Amino acid sequence: MATSQPILKADDLSMRYEDGVLALDHLNLDVRPGEVYCLLGANGAGKTTTINLFLNFIPPTTGTCFINGIDVTKDPLEAKKYVAFVSENVMLYGNFTARQNLDFFAKLGGKTALAKNDYYQVMRRVSLQEKAFDQRVKNFSKGMRQKLGISIAIIKDAPAILLDEPTSGLDPKAATEFLEIMAELKNEGKAILMSTHDIFRAKEIGDRVGIMREGRLVMERTREELQHEDLNKIYIDYMKSAEQAT
Amino acid sequence: MTGTIARKEILANLLSYKFYVVILLAAFLVATSFFIMTRDYKERLADYSLIRPKPGEPIAVNPPNPLSIFAKGLDEAMARSFEVGPTGITVRAGQKSGNTVFAFFPTPDFLYIVRVVLSLVALLFGFDQVSREKEGGTLRLILANPASRGTVLLGKWLGNFVSLAVPFLLVTALGIAVLGLDPAVRFSADQVLRLALILVLTLIYIAFFLSLGILVSALTRRVSSSLVILLFVWALLVFVLPNLGTLVARQMVDVPSVRALSEKRQQVWTREVLLRIRGVGDWASHVKTISAENDALEADYRVKFDRLVALSKNINRVSPVASFIYAATEIAGTGIGEEGALKKEVVRYKNGLIDRTLASPDAGISDYPAFRYSCRPLDRVLAGGALFDAAWLAVCGILFFALSYFVFVRYDVR
Repeated sequence: MATSQPILKADDLSMRYEDGVLALDHLNLDVRPGEVYCLLGANGAGKTTTINLFLNFIPPTTGTCFINGIDVTKDPLEAKKYVAFVSENVMLYGNFTARQNLDFFAKLGGKTALAKNDYYQVMRRVSLQEKAFDQRVKNFSKGMRQKLGISIAIIKDAPAILLDEPTSGLDPKAATEFLEIMAELKNEGKAILMSTHDIFRAKEIGDRVGIMREGRLVMERTREELQHEDLNKIYIDYMKSAEQAT
Repeated sequence: MTGTIARKEILANLLSYKFYVVILLAAFLVATSFFIMTRDYKERLADYSLIRPKPGEPIAVNPPNPLSIFAKGLDEAMARSFEVGPTGITVRAGQKSGNTVFAFFPTPDFLYIVRVVLSLVALLFGFDQVSREKEGGTLRLILANPASRGTVLLGKWLGNFVSLAVPFLLVTALGIAVLGLDPAVRFSADQVLRLALILVLTLIYIAFFLSLGILVSALTRRVSSSLVILLFVWALLVFVLPNLGTLVARQMVDVPSVRALSEKRQQVWTREVLLRIRGVGDWASHVKTISAENDALEADYRVKFDRLVALSKNINRVSPVASFIYAATEIAGTGIGEEGALKKEVVRYKNGLIDRTLASPDAGISDYPAFRYSCRPLDRVLAGGALFDAAWLAVCGILFFALSYFVFVRYDVR
C-alpha cells in the first residue's frame, strides 16, 4: 500500500442540509497514490455526499476537503484539475459519438492537444468495441456508457478518481472488466475513492474499506485485516445494530 | 474553456433535428414575409406613381418607404394624401395596402416574424440549457472539471446564440440579396445602413430572449416546468404588455376625438364664411384666421396626443419587446416619431402655400414646389429615442444573463 502524502483528504467533514438532516458527521479519511478506498454503506449513509463535497457541488457545514493538498472550497477550479469523476449512471450526450463525448470532456479537463488516435487508444484500453467509437452514445448499453465514463476519467489523467457506485446495475462480466481497469489505474498510482453497495467487489479491489452509517465512518479495515475477517458479516452486523438503534 | 463549451453547444444543435426544423421554419417565414411585403410595397408604389402631385397641386403625398418591407410600422398612414385647403389639412385614403387579408391579421413583415417567431425560437434554444443537463446527469460531469459555472453558462449562451444568429443572418442576407435583384426595390446607402442597424437590433432581441430562456432554465429543475413558464412569460411579453400601456394611458390622458376636432374646424369655417357674407373683413384675412385657428386646434390636439403616446410608450417599455418595435420602426423611418415629423412638415407646407396664395393671389401656385419629405437623419432618430430603446433591450438581456449567473452559481447540481 502507498505511504506517500494523501491525494484525497477529508478533514473533520460535516454536512447538515437545510432541512436539518445531518448527512455527514465529522468524517476523516484520506486516500493515497496507488490506493483504492471503498466506502460501503446503505442508502443515505453519506457516501455520495462525501463525493459531492470533494467535487464542491455543495459546501461543507464544517471541515475541509483537500485534493492534492488544495482546499476544495477555497480553490475549487485548481483542485478539480487533479480529480476525475465517474458517476453511478454515466449519462453523456446521446447525439454525440463516443469520440465526440470523449473529446469534449477531455478538453474540459484541460487536454486540448489530443489526436483522434489518442481517443481510440483510451477506448480500446477500456475494451469498448471498435465499432462503437464513432457511434452515437444514445444507442449504448449501460456497460458501454460506464466504459466511456472510465475513458473520460483516464484521458483526464488526474492523480485522483472519484467513483460513485460505478458498478451498480452492471452485469457481472461488465463489473469485473470495470474492476480490472480500476486495478490498472491503481497500479499507475491513481488514488481512487469509490462508493459502493457491492461488498464482494469492495473486498476484492479495496486497499481500505470504510463502512458508513448515518453520516459517520463507523469502521475502517485494511486489505490485510480483511484477509482474516468476513467483511460481509461485519457489514451486516453494523447495519443490524443501526436498525436496532432506531 | 468557454470556447469548448460553446463549440459543444453548436455541435449539439447541429446534431439535433430541432435545430433544422426551427431554421427551416425561420427561413420559410422570412422568405414568405419578404415576398408578401415586397408585393405590398410595389402595389403601394404603383398607387403613389398614379396620385403623385405635380408642382402647384395643393396635395402632400409621401412615397412608400422601401424599408417598410422589413418594418411596415406607420408607413401606410404616412403615405396617405394630405390635401391642403383653407379649412386646414384633409387626410385622404392614400395608398391602401392591396392585400385585404392584412385587415384580419397582423402585417407579416420581417419585424413581426422576429418579434413573434424568432423570440419563441430563441426561447426554444434556451429553455433546457441548465435543466436538461441536470436531468441528464451531464451537469455533474461538466462541473467535476475545472470549469467555473460562469464559464459554463457563458459558453452555453455563446454557443446557442451563434447557432441561432448565424443561420438567421444567412437566411436574411440571402433574402435581401434576392430583393436587391428586383429593380422596383431600391435602397439608398442610408437605408442600407438603417437595415444593418435593424439586423443588429434583431440580434440584441434574440440575445434577450435567449438569456431569458437560460434564466428560467436555471430557476427550474425540470425541462417541462421551464417550458410552461417560458411560454406564459413569452405571451405576456410579446402580446399582453406591449398593448397594456396604450389601454392604461387612455384612461389617464384625455385626447379629443378626431370627429370632435373635425367638427370644431367646420365651426371655424362656417363662422368665418358667415362673417364674410355679412361683409366683415376680406377673404384673405378670413382664410388667415381659419388657418391660424385650425393650426392652434391641431397643435393643441398634437400636444395631448403626444402626451398620450409618450405615456403609452413608457408603460409599454415594461416589455422590452415594445422597445424593440419602437427602435426598429424609428430606424426604418416608419415609427411614431417619424410620423409626427412628417405631419409637422405637412403643416409647414400648408402654411407656406397659404402665405404664398395670399401674398400674390393672381400669381397662382403652379410653380410652387411639390411636397417632399426626407426621413429625419439617423443621428436624430437615434438621439430621439431609438438608441434608448436599443440600450434598454440590451440592458434587459444583460440583466437576465447576470441573474442566470447568480441563480446558476447557487444551483444544486446533485
